[in-house]
Amino acid sequence: MQYGMVIDLEKCIGCHACTIACKAEWEVPTESGRNWVRRLGPAATPHGLASTYYPGLCNHCNEPACVEICPADVEEMTFTDAKTGKKKTMEVAATWKDPFNGSVQIDKARCIGCGACADACPYEARYVNEDLEEPKADKCTFCMPRVEKGLTPACVQTCLAGARIFGDLDDPKSEIAQYIKNGAYGLSSAAVQIGPNVRYYGNKRDTYLLTSTSTPTEMPEANLRRVFMAKMSKSANDAIKNIGMIGLAGALLCKKTEEGEESNKA
Amino acid sequence: MAFRLSRRKFLQTASLAAASVPLSKVRTSKAALSAEGVAPGSFTDTKDAYGGICEMCFWRCQLVGKVRDGKLVKIEGNPKSIDNGTSLCARGNAGIKLLYDPDRLKYPLKNVGERGNPKWKRISWKEALDECGSKLKAVIDKHGGHAISMYPHGASAKYPMHYFERVVGTPNVSEASFFQCRGIRDTAYVNTFGTTPGEHVDMANAKAIFLLGCHFGENVHVSHAKRYLKGLENGAKLIVVDPRFSSSAAKADIWVKIKPSTDTAFLLAIMNYLVKKGKHNEEFVDEYGDGFDEFKEAISHATLEWASKECDVPASQIKEVAETLATNAPNVSVHPGRYTSWYGNDFQRVRALGCLTGLLGAVGVKGGFVKPKGPKGVKKVSWPHVGHAESHSLRKLGGGLYPYSPPGTPTDLVRDTMVSGKPYPIKACVVWGQNPIQTIPNQPLTIQGLKNMDFVLAVDVMPTDITMYADILLPESSYLERHDYIKKGTQFDLSGKQEQFISARQPLVDPLFERKDSIYITNEIAKRLGHAMHIPANTVQELVDKQLAGAGLSLAKLTAAKGIHVQPGKDPYGVPEDFEVSFFNEELVENGFPGAPTYKSVEHNPKGYARLLYGRTPLHSFNRTQNNAWLNFGMPENPIWVNDEHASKMGLNDGDRVKLVSSDGVVSTNDSVVKVTPGISKYAVYIAHGFGSKNEMLSVAKGKGIDDQELITKPNIDPETGAHGMRTAFVKIMKDGKKIDFPA
Repeated sequence: MQYGMVIDLEKCIGCHACTIACKAEWEVPTESGRNWVRRLGPAATPHGLASTYYPGLCNHCNEPACVEICPADVEEMTFTDAKTGKKKTMEVAATWKDPFNGSVQIDKARCIGCGACADACPYEARYVNEDLEEPKADKCTFCMPRVEKGLTPACVQTCLAGARIFGDLDDPKSEIAQYIKNGAYGLSSAAVQIGPNVRYYGNKRDTYLLTSTSTPTEMPEANLRRVFMAKMSKSANDAIKNIGMIGLAGALLCKKTEEGEESNKA
Repeated sequence: MAFRLSRRKFLQTASLAAASVPLSKVRTSKAALSAEGVAPGSFTDTKDAYGGICEMCFWRCQLVGKVRDGKLVKIEGNPKSIDNGTSLCARGNAGIKLLYDPDRLKYPLKNVGERGNPKWKRISWKEALDECGSKLKAVIDKHGGHAISMYPHGASAKYPMHYFERVVGTPNVSEASFFQCRGIRDTAYVNTFGTTPGEHVDMANAKAIFLLGCHFGENVHVSHAKRYLKGLENGAKLIVVDPRFSSSAAKADIWVKIKPSTDTAFLLAIMNYLVKKGKHNEEFVDEYGDGFDEFKEAISHATLEWASKECDVPASQIKEVAETLATNAPNVSVHPGRYTSWYGNDFQRVRALGCLTGLLGAVGVKGGFVKPKGPKGVKKVSWPHVGHAESHSLRKLGGGLYPYSPPGTPTDLVRDTMVSGKPYPIKACVVWGQNPIQTIPNQPLTIQGLKNMDFVLAVDVMPTDITMYADILLPESSYLERHDYIKKGTQFDLSGKQEQFISARQPLVDPLFERKDSIYITNEIAKRLGHAMHIPANTVQELVDKQLAGAGLSLAKLTAAKGIHVQPGKDPYGVPEDFEVSFFNEELVENGFPGAPTYKSVEHNPKGYARLLYGRTPLHSFNRTQNNAWLNFGMPENPIWVNDEHASKMGLNDGDRVKLVSSDGVVSTNDSVVKVTPGISKYAVYIAHGFGSKNEMLSVAKGKGIDDQELITKPNIDPETGAHGMRTAFVKIMKDGKKIDFPA
């Protein structure tokens, strides 16, 4: 099973209800967004004058760059298939791709708020919630807590156009799979091929405008200095609370300096 | 140089930490955080509050509130709604940010500074109401009830408006929703179809949809947009006439990039073509038409070539539009529009839309002009007619001005009288939910009028630019905290299962601070003006229950029905028995106007200038939502659309920050960002309306974006209706303090 979403640009009228419903549902800080709508054009395309929208959100990728980069301590986690009850245990950091439903999730209790995952995402779909007492990374969850209760994702529920179709891409009978059959596409480029599971459907000119303006063309270089500093300061804070941990901070600091020198030589 | 560290190396480092400290210890110290940062979701530990009716705009969708510990955490569409369903627009979803906006009015305030530059002192309700009573009484005693002007807006303003009109006896009530918006449309259709049109075209079942200036998508009203989209989904051909490649033009089969202000010429040419080619619906015209021969004669000059020249549109495209309409007739939605006060030649244009509908026989049929059959029985309960407003009508005293005026008095007549004191003094002004600074053109005149008053009262939910001119400023409870409005209607798709609904606004949460509803405020003022005996209801609940009783309903019954009463409906299709299309209207001729729709050319761009056009954005309802933190973040300012070929000649680039300067020399207070696009006519620039608030109390909105109303100094008054044509300003770009001409 792989949850995914298709956005039908033939229907979307760019009303932004999806972005605001999401803000209310998940208390997203005003300046951040788990999803967004960017107006594109009017601009000339080889297929005529076009104006459309880029309603974006986390792509819950097949090979998510954000998961790989997470520096938080790994732990064993057991996942359950909602359909079959089957269980699987994996070692994961603070963010992972669910082995059964394919969604990418974050454990905020374990997130150290370093922002590496946000840096790593070529779609800029993650943000660090600075409104919290301690910053935490956050993103679209495909509204899994709502879906588990039998509700639709908040953005889907509020969409007056019925332009957002959520479902299982692996189920050939699903509406979303029909869209894929009819040519719905993800925003991938030569350099960015990580299997996005949000797809777009539209006419030629809108497709041209969306893909030419909004497809990421390179994988970002994550700023690991930030990761590292975050990890250290986090550890240092903990250490102050747990006196025995001071040694750790010192060790990390030494290690960091070495790395920094190596890097400067390179 | 970037500091790079592979994950492998990082893990080596981390293992060093793991060696020195047990992991469990680290986890323990973080345990307190686990709840932190995880939003529970609106469905967790919340109660549903039913009966909400939105008023982030005037469409008024039906809501359910998600309430946790007395706090409204989310607003959703009421699943029981057969109108908006579970959907809301961006503004509807953002209602909680209005509800809890820290800048909202909280207490009665008295201006101890000056009008326009206020200093606010918090006072008690008693003191505020006593002051309103004594000040208004002094004006009424000296000059009469008609010496009070009123600018109302929104559901809550109806009750005080009726009080001032019917009991105090002033005809000087000017609603922006009529005189700066849809009034022209309503009276033009009344004088063409004998009825107001609303937005009643059956777009969901149309084979072709014809939009003149309507830009759905940028203009969003949920059930209306649902009808439009359903029609497109069903394959309706979409024709959009607009100088701009709007959100609707982007979905259109035919986009007509018309020269601004020439729309009536375009419509006449289409109609003349249809008639000349015998492509109109003769049978329908014979049965329901009046004055067809005179009409035919009157428009016979309107050739495709003439209109092509006038409208700067190829004749072949006008013909293509006419053919598309004829091919798909009668299942055609010729949209009557809503905002219609454009150029001052507007009544004629809207009449032409009605006549075109008639020519196509697009009445009472699938896809055509079809009025839904809503529920009956809800009673009108309001103030009795005891005043003598009509004898002081400025239209009458002016010798029968603007015979096709919508209800109330044209804004300019009221404002001119506030300024001049002629033919009688107007010495008090009551502003209730309207913001005339940003709804009425020529701001200096409005301000002069306000400064002439003995007393200015403003009642609103939020501070706005007009509230800076109040002597007393009263805080009203918002649509989420009060009763007041009854919403009726049918299922959104006229061809669906026929159902009707009645819903009454109920509060989703209690009002905070000292906010009060308009029934309380009006009644308290009425008591102080000696009108206690006319009070129609003591509380808003009593008023609504009296209204609902006519339909066998009550607030309690609606609450039990989860906010919405649904009952079987009636098939809306078929031409009403007494229906008539006045192609040529004799009464118009008697009043000195053309009997058939007539094109009147208006002033075109002076050399070096572009016409300032404005319109809607899905993130804002005009000025009202500008301070909403979520909506403001979504659209903090209004980009200036500039034609790409012009921009390159003018040395303008996408993203430049510029001001606009009008042909009257008014420079916009704020700047905004240039949007270079081929999607706008060379005759015009475009910005979204409602930006550029000046009130210091608006900590989010103040100073952002360009206020179009600031630049509109020479409105054209529509001669039939007295409404304001406001797409009449011509502007240049001002970059780095230098004016840049538009190329010829």
